[in-house]
Amino acid sequence: MTNTATNTSHVDSDATRIGGRELMVELSGVDKFFGAFQALSNIDMKVGKGEVVVVIGPSGSGKSTLIRCINRLEHHDRGRIMVDGIELTEDVRNIALIRKETGMVFQQFNLFPHLTVIDNITLGPRQVLKMPKKQAEDRAMELLERVKIPEQARKFPGQLSGGQQQRVAIARSLAMQPKIMLFDEPTSALDPEMISEVLEVILELAKTGMTLIVVTHEMGFAREAADRVIFMADGEIVEVGEPEHFFTNPQEERTQLFLSQIL
Amino acid sequence: MTDTMPPSETALQNNPSRLPPDMRVSPSTWMRKNLFNNWYNALISVVAGVVGALLVFYFGRFVLVTGEWEAVRKNLTLLMTGVYPRNEQWRLVAQMYIIASALGLTWGTVTAQSLDRAEDTGVEKHRPTPIDLLRRYWAVLFMLAVILVLTQTIWPTLFTLSTIAVGLTVRSGAMRLPRSARQPCWYAAAFMAIVSFQVVSGTNGNAWWWTAALAAFIAMQSTANLETTVAWHRTALRIGSIAAAVVVVRIAYWLIGDTSSVSWDDWSGLYLTLVASGAAIILSFPLALLLALGRRSSLPVVRWLCVTYIEIFRGVPFIVLLFIAKIFIDFFLGADTPLSLTTRTIVVFTIFSSAYLAEVVRGGLQAVPKGQIEAGQAAGMQPPAIMRLIVLPQALRAVIPAMVGQFISLYKDSTLFAFISVVDFYRARELIHSQQEFTTTAIFETLVFAAFIYWAISYTMSKESQRLERHLGVGER
Repeated sequence: MTNTATNTSHVDSDATRIGGRELMVELSGVDKFFGAFQALSNIDMKVGKGEVVVVIGPSGSGKSTLIRCINRLEHHDRGRIMVDGIELTEDVRNIALIRKETGMVFQQFNLFPHLTVIDNITLGPRQVLKMPKKQAEDRAMELLERVKIPEQARKFPGQLSGGQQQRVAIARSLAMQPKIMLFDEPTSALDPEMISEVLEVILELAKTGMTLIVVTHEMGFAREAADRVIFMADGEIVEVGEPEHFFTNPQEERTQLFLSQIL
Repeated sequence: MTDTMPPSETALQNNPSRLPPDMRVSPSTWMRKNLFNNWYNALISVVAGVVGALLVFYFGRFVLVTGEWEAVRKNLTLLMTGVYPRNEQWRLVAQMYIIASALGLTWGTVTAQSLDRAEDTGVEKHRPTPIDLLRRYWAVLFMLAVILVLTQTIWPTLFTLSTIAVGLTVRSGAMRLPRSARQPCWYAAAFMAIVSFQVVSGTNGNAWWWTAALAAFIAMQSTANLETTVAWHRTALRIGSIAAAVVVVRIAYWLIGDTSSVSWDDWSGLYLTLVASGAAIILSFPLALLLALGRRSSLPVVRWLCVTYIEIFRGVPFIVLLFIAKIFIDFFLGADTPLSLTTRTIVVFTIFSSAYLAEVVRGGLQAVPKGQIEAGQAAGMQPPAIMRLIVLPQALRAVIPAMVGQFISLYKDSTLFAFISVVDFYRARELIHSQQEFTTTAIFETLVFAAFIYWAISYTMSKESQRLERHLGVGER
């Protein structure tokens, strides 16, 4: 019952492509355990290049674990994960490569409180990409323009509002020039009036053609931005579909129940 | 925290009802509220007031009228520098000037850095006024004043005042330097501090090698960041600067032509107390860092080695370690071992301190949220870089108070040196009473004086740690 074939338009016969797009992320048969608790069971998922995939589901359904497996913040116990043609294994070089290609934005921002905003953004590029300081700072300023807070560059994260901090976190991830961005409930820790400013930034990012995987509870956002919506429950992918179809005509009973509870 | 800015000052003044209510109270109201609000508090206040006044009176009378400070006055040199050869004391004065310059340089650089940061981040930071400095360092300045009052010639006073003047001048000079000079300033300060000990122990023999090696290291470091496009230019620059540093140091030592030397075992008195605890504090810090990291290592061998080290040296009294250092090393290496007793004492002191400090640092490491490490990992950073740039800065900040507490108790533990007849400040005080004149007199006076000196320095350390904590917390959550 759990496969990506719910919406036929996204299935290609060619194994390296999906919906006419190059394959960016591929999970097949992924299991993940925390002790005896099974957090993910038999996950099959394909994300194409430039695709915006929104993952929704009740809390504890394994959404966060799923995307944390993609950049190896959690290791999977069974199955195969491929990111941009690189397989995630115990090999630390592969892990480093994949982390270089994926950016992640966390629910709690996880900005470095002892560094100024601009140092937060330039740390990765300077350390990992070995970018010269000047170039890294120029890029950081461009990114801050893009998330609309260039005037905060020299402040510390603690001086900013939650929405501003999350936008800095997005800029920090983008500074690594990733091919894929993972968003782990980026607006769940924000006050209501700040949610839209963060979602706007993500929405603009989606328009640039970057591959995004977004775990969120913002259904309006899912509807507007997603190419596909994945519904998860109890560590399984229950249903996959295009947003229109997904929200208006869900097939599975669990999806219908979830949507009736939150909409 | 939200975006909204507070209304501007002028807007507030135009609308008095929006000002916070005036909470100041008159002294009489305050006393009624806090000291005499009911009969038993009034009683306690009166009794405590009387006892306090009596204590102040008797102690004040002792210090100013009845106390015989002759014992301290006559033996001030013994207390300060112990058995350091009298005709070589110019070396200590010279070191004082060098250290004052190094401290001034460091201080000026730190102040300038924090002013820069204040400017960048918009966090308010006012320049410290002389009154602020007085308030911050009054204990140690008071201590200096007391010592100088007890001196018999004018020279120590002149030396001290000129040292302070040198330090302050260098500080204000350092604050005016451009931002690019900050890094070299740190190097220069470290270089001066270390070289000053060559002045103290004499520069004969191959001593110049140490200085040359240090100078070469600094030269290498400061040329490492120069941006040149041609690779071999950089290599040539590096080798050239290293060679130049060595040559300059050699020539300098040849010009100075200082051939005498003072044994480290002659370091004594308050001087030794300060040097030994300073050295132990500085040396035990990196050691403790390694131990704390090792204890959390994923390699079992490293972890067990670190745990064993920490648990052994935390479980053995310091005094036992001191005796081991004194007796066992003599026993195994012979009494003519080149390891001076002072060296051994400092080594044992460092080992002892690092075991405790490692546990403090470990507490700090555990206090850093896991999300911080994950953010580093997600950016593709390697574990050593995550540790160095993300975890450690936060961990150390979190444990500054605990660390300084450790340092203060370490400083006071140096009194135990007396047991292995190393003449530290406290042992020097005891030596006063081995003199015929003072065998039974003035014992309380010397004790009060010793207590005062230990207190003044500990208190300043603790105050500085509070300030450091506030200062580093600027703009953080």
